[in-house]
Amino acid sequence: MINFEEELKKFHPSLEVEDAEEAIYNQDLTDMADLLVKMIKESEDKQGEQ
Amino acid sequence: MFCYNCGCHLSEHDFCTACGADVSLYKKIMYVSNRFYNDGLEKAAVRDLSGAVNSLRQSLKFNKNNIDARNLLGLVYFEMGEVVAALSEWVISKNMRSDKNIADDYINMIQSNPTRLDSINQTIKKYNQALVYCLQDSKDLAVIQLKKVLSLNPKFIRAHQLLALLYMDAEDWDHAQRELKKCENIDRNNTLTLRYSKEVEQMLAPEDGTKQTPKHKKDDVVRYQRDNEVIIQPLNVKEQKNSGASTLINIGIGLVIGLAAMYFLVVPSIISNANNESQKTIKDIGNQLDVKTSRIQELESELDSIKADNDSLQKELEAFVGTDGTIKTMDSLLEAAQNYLDTEDAVSTAEYLETIAEGVNLEETSDSFKGLYNILVQKIGPTVSATYYSTGYSAYKDEDYQTAIVNLKKAVFYDAKNGDALYNLGNAYRMSENAQEAIPIYQKVVENFPGTEKARKSQQYLDQYVQQNAAN
Repeated sequence: MINFEEELKKFHPSLEVEDAEEAIYNQDLTDMADLLVKMIKESEDKQGEQ
Repeated sequence: MFCYNCGCHLSEHDFCTACGADVSLYKKIMYVSNRFYNDGLEKAAVRDLSGAVNSLRQSLKFNKNNIDARNLLGLVYFEMGEVVAALSEWVISKNMRSDKNIADDYINMIQSNPTRLDSINQTIKKYNQALVYCLQDSKDLAVIQLKKVLSLNPKFIRAHQLLALLYMDAEDWDHAQRELKKCENIDRNNTLTLRYSKEVEQMLAPEDGTKQTPKHKKDDVVRYQRDNEVIIQPLNVKEQKNSGASTLINIGIGLVIGLAAMYFLVVPSIISNANNESQKTIKDIGNQLDVKTSRIQELESELDSIKADNDSLQKELEAFVGTDGTIKTMDSLLEAAQNYLDTEDAVSTAEYLETIAEGVNLEETSDSFKGLYNILVQKIGPTVSATYYSTGYSAYKDEDYQTAIVNLKKAVFYDAKNGDALYNLGNAYRMSENAQEAIPIYQKVVENFPGTEKARKSQQYLDQYVQQNAAN
């Protein structure tokens, strides 16, 4: 049996058009490729130090 | 695919031919991203929009520069009614690749139509307001608001789902199912939709295994194909007996209904028409009655007028006609003439003539009557005038001006050339202080007897009256 109150918590206010700009700026765009490059660079840095 | 280190185009080797960097892992990440993109594309093609969103988001987590995946994600968001999310993806996509990017067209499509953009914004505001109403337990208002939202943006899945949830809470399972069907038509594999649908179906499912019934029905028909047509023949269908009797009963019922309809529809119309005609006839008769009444009144007034004229004429006739039926005035005139011829007494003849003059208007008498009357006056005039003058002058001398005026007036009447009578009449009026009568008498004396002593004195009196008036 569905609980209305609990289900209602799953619904969130939708972003308005005025808020779109802020949402775009705050979006985390880090991807796996970024992480890989970062890891490779860190690895290279460690090797250089040794 | 480009090298993450130097940006050169990568070959089939696991290292960059330009900088020598190891790109094997990087290449695998790109492949996984593309794999997710393909998966998202396939799901979007079969309207599994939720699945497509998940795959495309995964694709972008591996490679944020996957422009196709981002554009498709925006498109899927747009199809789900999430316009702001779609715009965000397209703006980021355009920012990453400004040239030859279809996201540019999508953004222009929305921004070039301010009305549509405003409508989208209103939709979102109303949805948020509906959500607030739900939290405030104003569910009716929330339902109304969500209906408005869906009239503006029928593909807004979250609004459909929230509306379905509200219907489910109100145990309006049919409406909830309808909303969930709409959700499924837009997004076939939405987990929330499926969960709600399952709940609703459980509530709507018939109890005691009656689901078998449709299957039974299906078995009750025989299907076979003849040429290009599929023939469906029902089984276990028995024709009703006594069909002839039932037909007759039905015809009878139909006739009764028809007669009743005619009675209730046609008869009132006929009665109404008859009433209208009667009213019209009564109105016409009333008009005619009014005309005749006014005519009667007119005739009555004419009759009254004629009666009044008749009375007046009767009185006049009575004045002319004596008791023996002869004309009185004519008789008097003949008597006056006889008296004058017999006695030649001017004074007694004058009395006859004065009686006639008092009883009749001489102007209305016949010419012969007037002729005889004037002849008599001329015959007796100077004599009678002299007699009246003598009497009047004596009274004047005795300062009995009223008697003097009466006799002198008669003297002037019988002889207009009697200047002394006229002059002394003026004096009598003057002495009795009747200037209004005296002045015209003196004026006649001045006009008719010029150069005489009477005229000179009359003029003096007239001058005196003028001076008196000027002084007053």
